[in-house]
Parts: sequence; C-alpha cells; structure tokens
Amino acid sequence: MTVSSTMIKLLYILKKEFLLIIRDVHAVTVLFILPAVFILIMTLAMKDLFELHSSVVIDILAVNHDSGKRSVAFLKAMEEHNTFRFHLIEKDTVTESVKEQMLSRDYKFALIIKNNFSAFVNKKGKEKEKNPLELLVNPTVPVQTQLVLKSTLDGELSKLRWDAFIGRIDKLLAFAGIDKKDLKADKLSPIDVQYVYKGGHYSKMPSAVQQSVPAWLVFSMFFIVIPISNTFISERDQGTFMRLRSMNVPNSYLILGKMIPYLLINAVQVIFMIAIGVYVVPLCGGTALTIGDSLGGLILIASAVSFSAISVALLIASIARTTEQATTIGAVLNIIFGALGGLMVPKFVMPVFMQNLANFSPMSWGLEGFLDIFLRNGGVSDVLPKSLSLLALGLVMLGMTLIVLRRQRKV
Amino acid sequence: MIKIEHLCKSYDKKPVLKDVTISIQSGSIMGLLGPNGAGKTTLLSILIGVIRKDSGSITVNGMDLDHEIGAIQTRCSYVPQTLAFYPRLTARENLEYFGALRDLKGKKLKESMEFCIDIGSIQDFLNKRVDKFSGGMKRRLNMAIGLLNDPEILYLDEPTLGVDAQSRNYILKTIKKINSERKTTIIYTSHYMDEIEQVSDEIAIIDEGKLILHGAKQDILTRADTLCGHRNLEELFLKLTNIRLRDEN
Repeated sequence: MTVSSTMIKLLYILKKEFLLIIRDVHAVTVLFILPAVFILIMTLAMKDLFELHSSVVIDILAVNHDSGKRSVAFLKAMEEHNTFRFHLIEKDTVTESVKEQMLSRDYKFALIIKNNFSAFVNKKGKEKEKNPLELLVNPTVPVQTQLVLKSTLDGELSKLRWDAFIGRIDKLLAFAGIDKKDLKADKLSPIDVQYVYKGGHYSKMPSAVQQSVPAWLVFSMFFIVIPISNTFISERDQGTFMRLRSMNVPNSYLILGKMIPYLLINAVQVIFMIAIGVYVVPLCGGTALTIGDSLGGLILIASAVSFSAISVALLIASIARTTEQATTIGAVLNIIFGALGGLMVPKFVMPVFMQNLANFSPMSWGLEGFLDIFLRNGGVSDVLPKSLSLLALGLVMLGMTLIVLRRQRKV
Repeated sequence: MIKIEHLCKSYDKKPVLKDVTISIQSGSIMGLLGPNGAGKTTLLSILIGVIRKDSGSITVNGMDLDHEIGAIQTRCSYVPQTLAFYPRLTARENLEYFGALRDLKGKKLKESMEFCIDIGSIQDFLNKRVDKFSGGMKRRLNMAIGLLNDPEILYLDEPTLGVDAQSRNYILKTIKKINSERKTTIIYTSHYMDEIEQVSDEIAIIDEGKLILHGAKQDILTRADTLCGHRNLEELFLKLTNIRLRDEN
C-alpha cells in the first residue's frame, strides 16, 4: 500500500468522521455548547467565591447631619479602603425614614452621622461627649461582616480624633521640637497580609474564569466518549465494522480513523473554550481569561489530555455492548473523576485528604497542566510531568483497546 | 471456485458449524438456506475473513483463506443483512467513503460509483442523507456499496429483508444481472424460498451447523417432488429441517 493511497484513505476517514460529528446535534451540544454555557454560568456564579482575596464592596446607605469638615473627611477615609461604598441621602432625612429606605432599597447597613460628629472629633462644643455615629444593621448580615464594618468605623474615627488632637497641641509639639507629621496616623494599613498554603510554597489562586475555562474544557474533552462510542457502537451494531473488516481494513486504520478526527475536534474545543474565556466572559461581566505565553506548553498539555480522553473513550466503546451502556459508563466516570479532580469543586477549597485523592484523577492532571500555563505562567517543562502521565494512561488504554478488538476478531 | 472442507466452528464450546464440506462453482448463484441459528451467518463470516474457523480448510479461487486473506478480501465483497453504512451521510458520501477504502480513486472511483448508482437506481437521491431514504432505497444502497470493487465473489446476507415487493423484485433482477453480465459468483442467504428458487443455480440447506443438502436447483426441486409430492422448496425445507421453532437463546 503506497503512502498516497494510505493518505487518501485517511482523508476520507477524517471527512466521514467530521461529517458525522457536524451532523450530530447531540454531539455538538455535548462537546461545544454545554461546556461553553457551563463556563459562562460557573464563572459568573462563582465570581465572589474565587475573589475572596481581592476587593469586596459593601454598600452602605448614609445620611450626614453634620455640617463640619470632619464628617466629610471621615467618609472619604472610609471609602479609601475600597471595601465600603456610601450612598448619601438627603441631609435632613429622619431616622425612621432611613430605616424605611434601608429596607425598601435592600441595604444591609445604614450609617447615620449625627450633627455632633465634628464636635466629637474636635472635642469642642456642647455635644462633644455624645456618640457621633449610629449604625443600622439588617439582622441577616453575618456577625463577621458587622464586626469588619464596626472595626473600620472605630479605626477611622480614632485616627481622625488623633489627628485632631495633634492639631490642637501643635504649638506644644513645636516647642518640644517634635515634628507633628511623625505623630499623625498612617493613612495606609501598616499590616502586610500573606496567605499560607499547604506545603509552605506559594500558590497563586485562580480567578473564577481561570478555574472555569480549563475545568470545563478538560471535562468536555473527556466527554468525547459520547460521540466516539455512538459512532463506534453504531458501526458495530449496523454491521459497518464487519463490512470494513471484510474489506481488509486493518484495526490500526479503524483506530487512527477515530483518533485523528477527534484529536482535531478536541483542538477546536480548546480554541473555542479559550475564546469564550477571553472574549465572551468579559462581555457578561466577568474578568477575561489570561492564557500565559507558552504556546508550546499549551499544545503539549492539550494534546496529552486529548490523547488520553480519546483512548479511554475507545476502550469504553469497544467493551460496551450498547450505546446506552457506553454513554452511561462514560458519563458516570467523567462526572466522578471530574468531581474528584477539582473540576466541579476547586481543589483549593477541598480538605487535605480530598486534595490528595484528587491526584488520582487524570482530569486533575489535565486541569493542573492548563492552570500551569494560564495562571502560573508555566512552560513546557512545567506541564511535562502531567503530560507524560496522561500520555502513559492513553497508551495503556489504547493497548487494551487493541487487545479487545483483536480478541473480537478472533472469535 | 470456493472449496470448503471439514469446516468446524464453535462458540464457547457450543458447535455452530459441524464438519461442513461444500464446493461452489465459479460464476454460479448459490442460495444458502437454513432456519435461524443454523450457522449461515457464521459460515459467511468465516468466508469473508471476519471470524476465524476452528478447523478445516477453505480455498477461494485457488487461494488459501488462512494465508491469503488480504488478497481474497480484495476480490470479494460482503453485503450484510444489516444496513451497514452511515445514515447521517448522503448516498454519494457513503459510496465515496467505501470506494476510497477499497483503494479506488480518481477516474476509477468515479466510474465505479456511476455503475453502483445505476445498479442501485439511486441517481435522484445521491445528495440526500441516507436516514431520509425508504427501506427499499437503503437496501439498494447497501448492495451498491458491495459492488464498488467489482467483486469476483459477492456474499449477500438476506439482501431483501424488510423491503416492499417492488424493491425486492428490483434487487433480485439486479442479482441475476450482475451474475450474468459480470460472471460474479454469488452466495445468497435468505428466508424467502421463492427468492432462492427464483435466482439460484445451486441450493444448499444448512441446519444446526450441518450441511444437510446441496445440489443444482433442478435436482433439489426434483427431490422435493419425490419427497413431498410437488416441486415446492418450502415443503422440502420444512421436511428436512423439521417444523420445530428455532428461537435462539
């Protein structure tokens, strides 16, 4: 058999598989539409969960009865935390009306700055001893959140009072030769926050989009089992397989005829899902996916995931007796290994024993490989161990498939 | 010529072909009859090299099946009783695909396809998806695919299963035509006795893995007359194979 004859056969096999896939609405749905929808939903739904370490904004209804400058400075200082956003209402709004507005406009907090605020800070005037702030709280707010707001209010108020005190004694300080700037409260927090992860090494946290895109991409790549087993078992049940065997078509052609088209389909999935993360997610209010700068690493890990997914699918398809059996086995395995491998629930929120268990899932190898590229700016050397594991798994599965097919032929 | 000698085959120690010996003349049409589970499909599967025999020898046009399976498969063609093609492809795409796997390309593929399109009478539906075809059209396409390589030997496994009278008549005429024009040896299995009577030159009856009758059609019909009182193949078949139901388990 010449090379050109082999190529022509392979081209027709590829054409056939592509046409079968394109015309199979269910396969297109499972391979492209379902994961794309998952990426969008999960990215947007889990946005806050994944952004625990970045800015969280608490909206607060506020009324300022104070006519001094101190209350304005106080609100400004509070907003500089980037955590609180004050929505000021009419100065003369009475407390009952503030409560009504808070409930009707669904605010969790309302802050009433009393007319003695500046007097309290400056320690001047008749009402300098009365409490200058009143915080209205929706009882459904977690105690921790209440404490965060109360502490910040206390802190900013104390800073303001300290600065006012320094201002009052500036002549005294000048006489003592002390620069009052050295005594002023720091504007920025003097605390460095550092997250500590298991194993002691620094691990960058994924954003919602950076977790969702590779997770659902790997999941959808392994879902190739559905169309592969559909065509494989249909070919067997409809006698097409027997016809092909009677035409002296070797098993290797039948296997290659399945592998090459689905490798290409997996490649299209990779491009499609990345495009969703980069271009579509931002349009829906999420942050855009960043894909690192190692094209080689990306191709390596994507090829390894694809090879192992197709090999697993071929083994399932060759063992299963019916399409229903194959799709059930395939779907169940995918969901179990997906859940175990940190695709559905991110690994970093799992307890330690579950994180250790996740390492047994090939989907986790694939996910971590993609995260190496997208999140940790890794390259070929970073994804090589995971890729080799996936390729080894694929080779074992493929070997088992060939043994099963050979046994079926010998019957 | 196909020469089968002392052929045996078992599945899980259950014998399905027991010491079958038969010769089929080149250029003839042999009707292979047998109740369900008699071993017809197993015999065809061994002849086309899809499953392996346990013992015995088979030569096809002088070539040993054990040693020259590739060459034999290139010269033969098998049309399964199932509709063995891709329903989501068009008739043209199916023919192109199976033609390419038969090593046909360019002008040769085109000519071969034209012949098969004509034989299958599917000219007007070439670009239509096959899952939209009627039962008869599907059967004709199934057979047309089997003719792409212009085979010396054609194995037809119940080619008229589930079709209307018109398509059945067309398929039977086509089988006769291919045999007479191209001198193709045809091995034909069916449950329809009238079909076998209509197209076959030779008839073989197989039951419970054993060849119980083989000969020229006229000789078989004469034997039916002797045994049953009239030249009726169905009555002879029932007499030889017993009227017991053959539900497979």
